[in-house]
Amino acid sequence: MIRYSIRRLLLLLITLWLLTVLMFVLHHLFPGDTLTNMSGIRQSDGVAYQQAQQHYAMPQSWLSQYWQFFLHLLHGDWGQSLVTQRGVFADIMPQLGATLELTIMAMTLSLVIGVPMGMYAAVQQRGPLDRVIMGVSLSAYSIPAFWLAQLALLLFAVKLGWAPISGQLNPLFNITPVTGSVIIDILLSDSPYRGAALKDALQHLWLPVLVLSSIPLTMLIRITRNATLDVLQQNYLRAARSRGLSESRIMVKHVMPNAMQVIVRQLGLQFSLLMSNIIIIETIFNWPGIGSSLIKSIYERDYPVMLGGLFTLAALILLVNVAVELYHAWRYPQVRKELYAER
Amino acid sequence: MNILDIRNLTIEIDGDNGPIRLVDKLSLQIAEGEIHTLVGESGSGKSLLAKAILGFINPRWRVTADRLWWRHYDLLALNPEQRRVVTGRDMAMIFQNPGSYLDPNASIGAQLQECIPSGDLKGLYLRRRADRKTRAERLLHRVGIKDHDAVMQAYPFELSDGVAQKVSIAMAIAHNPKLLIADEPTTAMEPQTRSQIYRLLSKLNASQGMSVLMITQDLTAIMPETKRISMVYCGQLMEVGTPQQLLEQPLHPYTEAMLSMSLANHNTPVKTRLPTLGGSIPTMANLPIGCRLGPRCQHARRACIDTPRLRKLKQHQFACHYPLIEVKNYD
Repeated sequence: MIRYSIRRLLLLLITLWLLTVLMFVLHHLFPGDTLTNMSGIRQSDGVAYQQAQQHYAMPQSWLSQYWQFFLHLLHGDWGQSLVTQRGVFADIMPQLGATLELTIMAMTLSLVIGVPMGMYAAVQQRGPLDRVIMGVSLSAYSIPAFWLAQLALLLFAVKLGWAPISGQLNPLFNITPVTGSVIIDILLSDSPYRGAALKDALQHLWLPVLVLSSIPLTMLIRITRNATLDVLQQNYLRAARSRGLSESRIMVKHVMPNAMQVIVRQLGLQFSLLMSNIIIIETIFNWPGIGSSLIKSIYERDYPVMLGGLFTLAALILLVNVAVELYHAWRYPQVRKELYAER
Repeated sequence: MNILDIRNLTIEIDGDNGPIRLVDKLSLQIAEGEIHTLVGESGSGKSLLAKAILGFINPRWRVTADRLWWRHYDLLALNPEQRRVVTGRDMAMIFQNPGSYLDPNASIGAQLQECIPSGDLKGLYLRRRADRKTRAERLLHRVGIKDHDAVMQAYPFELSDGVAQKVSIAMAIAHNPKLLIADEPTTAMEPQTRSQIYRLLSKLNASQGMSVLMITQDLTAIMPETKRISMVYCGQLMEVGTPQQLLEQPLHPYTEAMLSMSLANHNTPVKTRLPTLGGSIPTMANLPIGCRLGPRCQHARRACIDTPRLRKLKQHQFACHYPLIEVKNYD
């Protein structure tokens, strides 16, 4: 297990390093001045530009340019936005918090609803409820997220008025963003209206979370159903039945852990899918996360912000994938046997 | 006293041309404390019979019987839930590839402790847990596993087949079943492990009066303590008798063919053909009518297109129109 963990972590580091190389190359390939793309400082800025040239080792070889770029990246100096002139890194961190808040909630929601529903559908295989669950999940899966989001907005926000149309929180509450996650920010603040603010934040939150979770939720239902059906046919389950164990005990103690093994393996993949959807959802709901800032920076040709956002999202996806793989190997011992024996 | 009494058990599935009888009017009686061996080739329906007794029934099978009694329970009259309670309490089964019958994601200790009935435990929560653990260790000792700690912590994939089979026997005897059904438990194992497991089963049989229904392919590798043997071919019962009766004077041509085929009886000269039963086992879709051995039987005559009745000569039963020796006083 230790050797496997070290191998995974090394792979993570190497992939992250390759990402920085890619970013460096992209800075050169993007139109415009390379240094401006990298640091966000324009030629017209005069002295600042000349200083930046020194800092980024511009006159020297590509190798030392890359080294300076890499050091800046490590120190959290990701340049400044071409539009707002604010530091990219300082801006991205609260955005990351906002994105993570949406992601974690959507993922939790789809796990909490999807896994039991999939298991239920498998137990009732070919029954009426199985058909309903599978039919609804297939149709929900085939609806594109951007369309579903707009339909949901039209219905719940415009027609019914159950949710605000956009944003994270009513600005009247005047909560200063610290972590970016609106719930944590409210709890951290000492505003006298914390309760009301929390209620408002939840009203803003539920609709994007629901729309965002539609894809992983429907996928999880299908994955869980297949995994459970597979486990239900296994010999050890028949043996457990023949020993007279109760059905509920069999489901909780034998079916669920074995089905979860398949589901956990899929979670990393689902997370990557979620990340590509979140860009659209954040833009539609005007959620101040990385996704909406990424789209905005693309429109504004704001290269430092664009690459900073890309790097953060890519690093997040990599981290989650490695974490899922490590958990999978740690929790399910026969996976480790396969790792070491089948090489 | 027979604890298991099966008369004319039939299992049918639907085929393209009407129903297919996988098991055709099979009868089986097991007395209390008896070791009964069921011998048959693969596909003869012996595992199906075991599954029908335990109630692992696929919804597509039609199981009918004149009588399927376990002690004083009519198993066919019970609903599935009641039946599972009865069979779960009184019967247990072990299988050919024990590894696949253990949950791969739970430690052996957890699975073994789960099998111990809660009613046997004493005391409150913590004491019950400790009691459960010591009982599990004792079970492992009883099946001949000495380093219980290592085995309890292991996962199924870490065990060898022999140890896994011992563990599954330990799980099977955790609630002191009256009947243990062993479905080819040693087929994939080396002779040494096989004799260990046979010794273990016969010890359990002697010490607790546990009946054993042993299912095997090889007539010559039966447990020495076997009281009676049933020969099955293609879902039909061919012959039932004590090992002595069957091995010394078989009455059914199938038993004789099985005996002459087994390598233990050979003293044929070099480079001669080994005796085999001509033809092959018919497929499910093309089962012969009457005695299903008919097309392969050297003694078959016209009468064999009618299924022979099971006839009795003292304790020796056979289903053949033309038994190998002249039999007069049967009924």
